[in-house]
Amino acid sequence: MNRIEGQISGIQVSGSLSLVSVDCKGILLKSIIIDTPDTSDYLATGTKVQLLFKETEIVIAKPGVREISLQNRILAVISAIKQGDLLCSVILESDLGTLEAIISTNAVADLSLQPGIEVLAMIKLNEIMLSPC
Amino acid sequence: MITAQFNKKLWSAQGGMQLDIQMELQQGECLTLYGDSGAGKTSALRILSGLLQPDSGRIEVGGETWYDSGKNINLPPQKRNIGYVFQDYALFPNLTARENIAFGLRKGESSALLEELITITSLGELQHKKPGQLSGGQQQRVALARALVRQPKLLLLDEPMSALDHLTRSHLQDFILEARQRYGFTVILVSHDLGEIIKLSDRVAVLGNGVISREGSPAQVFMQHKISGKFQFSGKILGIEQQEVVWIVTLLIGANLVKVVVTEKEIQGLSIGDQVIVASKAFNPILQKIRDL
Repeated sequence: MNRIEGQISGIQVSGSLSLVSVDCKGILLKSIIIDTPDTSDYLATGTKVQLLFKETEIVIAKPGVREISLQNRILAVISAIKQGDLLCSVILESDLGTLEAIISTNAVADLSLQPGIEVLAMIKLNEIMLSPC
Repeated sequence: MITAQFNKKLWSAQGGMQLDIQMELQQGECLTLYGDSGAGKTSALRILSGLLQPDSGRIEVGGETWYDSGKNINLPPQKRNIGYVFQDYALFPNLTARENIAFGLRKGESSALLEELITITSLGELQHKKPGQLSGGQQQRVALARALVRQPKLLLLDEPMSALDHLTRSHLQDFILEARQRYGFTVILVSHDLGEIIKLSDRVAVLGNGVISREGSPAQVFMQHKISGKFQFSGKILGIEQQEVVWIVTLLIGANLVKVVVTEKEIQGLSIGDQVIVASKAFNPILQKIRDL
């Protein structure tokens, strides 16, 4: 599980859903959850939270990608790649800490990913869980 | 509502310990006492039931004073409206299942409840058998029915299911949930089984060295951090297997086997037999209707 710390900077509520914006060292990441400030008292602007997401839910792109629905984007540099036949573990260093992404070995080859390369790590907003610190 | 506050000096192999408990329960609530052996859980239940007298304190159940050291009130166990079920079923071996349950009935009470309990515990066909002819799970159903036939305000369960296999345990838990809903009694449970605690209890109090050190919902007490994932279960690790750059963990959740993929970082600190919380977002699972056959 990847963990990133941040501070809640905004909450948009609709029914029992909340779209929570979290400021992580200046990078805005968003998570949609089935909780509202009424059901969970940690949901308030300024609360420190951890964003949790699975390594398998990271999408990796070369910088410069446009017209894609994923808005949670973290600029990172690949520091290591562990290779399996089907899957690779890609270790990423970013301003928000070390992240791990599990992607297909095929994709690693296709994008010519290797240590030292700069990439965008992207996560869908429905894949991020929140946990109050 | 139940309010209890009591002290008792206890002696164990490790030396003396001061049991100092304060608890408050709403009508119909289920509270689990959780803690190491020797923490004072069973002593606390024995004090509530009247089998053990505290050094001082006050126990009030639904407006009735059961114990008050200041006013010299100490109701004997039979005057306290409780049901008490232990790990050891403590049935009368010479009485049938039905007679064992009926033993709990007060004089002149109708047997309608007796019939109802025999039905909901599915003991109908076994009611004329003696405990020696029943399995552990069946005997424990008899013990529970015997406790409930007294229509207790408070049901004390001291690891009642720890000697039973998983499936039997799960059936008994369902029965306790159903009975609690139907009769509205309050439950204090002593258990070490995380799945059982999460399934049955509204609140958990962690007892250590005679005092309650933590209290909260099962999720608050057992999860290191509260997380927003709505797809949460507790399970037990049955197997761990490395596949390429990931590990596949086999878990028993309830009576189902599931597999979860985890990474190298997460697998450290996990071993077979560990109890874990499995969490995902409500957005991930898909539902497929099972076709009627």
